[in-house]
Amino acid sequence: MTANRNLKARPKATPDRIQNNIQSEKAIVDRAIVDSAIQHVAETDALSVADLPSSAVSVPLNLWLDERDAVIARGQPVAVQIAADESPEDLADQLDSIDMVVLPFVSHVDGRSYSHAYKLRTRFGFKGEIRAVGDVKFDQLGFLTRVGCNAFELPDGENLETALRAFDEFSEVYQPSADQGRLIFSRRRAVH
Amino acid sequence: MYQYDSIDKTIVNERVAQFRDQVQRHLAGELSAADLQPLRLRNGLYMQIHAHMLRVSIPYGMLNSAQMRTLAHIARKYDKGYGHFTTRQNIQYNWPELADVPDILADLAEVEMHAIQTSGNCIRNISSDQYAGVAPDEIIDPRPYCEIIRQWSTLHPEFYWLPRKFKIAVTGATNDRAAVQFHDIGLEVIKNAEQEIGFRVYVGGGLGRTPVIGKVIKEFLPREDILSYCEAILRVYNLHGRRDNKYKARIKILVNALGIDEFRTQVEEEWAHFKDQELKLHEVDFDTMQAFFPLPDYEVLDDGDARLEKWRSLDTRFNAWYEHNTSAHKHAGYRIVNVSLKEHGVAPGDATDKQMDAMADIADQYAFGEIRTTHEQNLVLADVRQQDLLDVWKALDAVGLATPNIGSVNDMICCPGLDFCSLANASSISIAKQINEKFTDFQELYDIGEVKLKMSGCMNACGHHHVGHIGILGVDKKGEEWYQFTIGGDASNHAELGTRLGPAIAKDKVGDAVVDILTVYRQQRQDDERLLDTFRRVGVEPFKDQVYAEQA
Repeated sequence: MTANRNLKARPKATPDRIQNNIQSEKAIVDRAIVDSAIQHVAETDALSVADLPSSAVSVPLNLWLDERDAVIARGQPVAVQIAADESPEDLADQLDSIDMVVLPFVSHVDGRSYSHAYKLRTRFGFKGEIRAVGDVKFDQLGFLTRVGCNAFELPDGENLETALRAFDEFSEVYQPSADQGRLIFSRRRAVH
Repeated sequence: MYQYDSIDKTIVNERVAQFRDQVQRHLAGELSAADLQPLRLRNGLYMQIHAHMLRVSIPYGMLNSAQMRTLAHIARKYDKGYGHFTTRQNIQYNWPELADVPDILADLAEVEMHAIQTSGNCIRNISSDQYAGVAPDEIIDPRPYCEIIRQWSTLHPEFYWLPRKFKIAVTGATNDRAAVQFHDIGLEVIKNAEQEIGFRVYVGGGLGRTPVIGKVIKEFLPREDILSYCEAILRVYNLHGRRDNKYKARIKILVNALGIDEFRTQVEEEWAHFKDQELKLHEVDFDTMQAFFPLPDYEVLDDGDARLEKWRSLDTRFNAWYEHNTSAHKHAGYRIVNVSLKEHGVAPGDATDKQMDAMADIADQYAFGEIRTTHEQNLVLADVRQQDLLDVWKALDAVGLATPNIGSVNDMICCPGLDFCSLANASSISIAKQINEKFTDFQELYDIGEVKLKMSGCMNACGHHHVGHIGILGVDKKGEEWYQFTIGGDASNHAELGTRLGPAIAKDKVGDAVVDILTVYRQQRQDDERLLDTFRRVGVEPFKDQVYAEQA
């Protein structure tokens, strides 16, 4: 029922998608370092559910949209990637079936996924895990948390213990986002 | 002016600590130079030809005397005794050591200043009218709106990694002194027929490689919606602006590609999701913010002071300064003083630590302790009693800050150019000198009248050459520095891009070309026409003929 639900073309394997599978031994989830077993499968033009390993995976959005029932039938937790050049709108009515949304960063200077996370939390009410993977390091964690990410896989060689510091860099903020809903002026209004 | 509360202080102090940690991790080898680069940029720290350059934010150009003294202290302690005031009303230092920068930021934080978002692909310093609050043609003081937007845009988590830099300017006067039509978002504070305050919103203006005049996206946006509407514009831009080519990544390219109507449709669709939620401002928010910008304690005075008039008739230098460097004030008995940072022989916009300290003292004694910076790279004392003008002039003159050339061809905007900037193709400071040397006779300068000469050392257009009445762009031709001229650009309400004069001109002929242009103007002008008016009437041909006559 979900196959080709979008009339607009959905390009595959663009340069904005991860080009290789990503798997990390450890992840930071809700500010704690935990073991990670999920593999984020890179998109190819002809990728199908039959090609997936039997272990835990996150699948590209296109694969989910094309073969939703087969993905669910794998019996694993459902994890779907939204690349920088894709839209969470395409997933909005299916979030109940999804356990984890993965935001793969090809480059940490590409800020589109921040808007994706923000919309998933505040507009579409997604309560599951939002995990940032790929080119995500210490200095991105604070703002990614603000917009709604709660899990992170950092590239090999990054010190996760050090990275935990990133969550406490700011104790005050000006804007509402996914982490807290108040604008600075409304907080000041309450004081006066 | 705005004063930090404990929340503002906490944020700035925590940003200093964060940057200190980033620098320490870099120096310890835990953060590569490549990974540090976008982080240091977001705190105003560039790598230039010779050294690092630190750009410090001066929100909408407002400074108090304590802040000016700190800027002087930084120039003295961490730099070579001077700073450079920029076209975004900021100041930059050309020689700080990386390891010192966290300490510089800590010194700035003491006086409620920072370098947040003065560079990088994020929302930059909000710029505004240097005469805000005192200009006779002002409809609404833009500063409370600037400060509200400043706070919303500071460390906004979603818009920190935009396709490209993003500049917002606000004006509240009939004459636009903030060039709002050349900003990514330009805001004109206006009143509608019901006398409600709101904004005319322009989007997609900008200079750089592809100069574009902003388009009206909203004729009247109620003021309570300003943050939600900006957020909607930014979200559409963040998601759909091009990221594959940095020269096509500004919002102007997106707006042009979609067309303003389609862009507006997308923004309105996005806005509808949250326009009446948390970002909607309340009346009390404006009242609270307006209270930070009260009228100073003006005395009840009349215009026209006897001592002032006497000295104007006795001292021609003083009179020249009065006529060219001071402007009408909305309150009787006061005058706006423009402080020229275009002294002959000095790089345009540069000021020494001594000059900055002197400005702070003069401001304390005569101008309610307040100083503004201008996008034309000068300073302003907004509220000076007419009876004090002679003393102010003497004090400014004693430190080389009373050159009576505001608005003249010698009051040029100029980027740092090849002398400092790693992007530049050509020098601009030496060209400024060359032009200065052609116009040493002030009477001739005054006869020529208002000329906005703007010069950039490369296509990135930091010197705003596209909107100069005379624009000069440095280009590289086979390793040599050449200069491309435009005429007729205008950054004011009648926004206009300059017309190209002809082939680029050799470095040693730039001053002659400016003389040629102004000669044609003086021959052809009618009545009170400025260069810009004459150009609009006669077109580019007569200027072209004169400048290229020798080559023909």
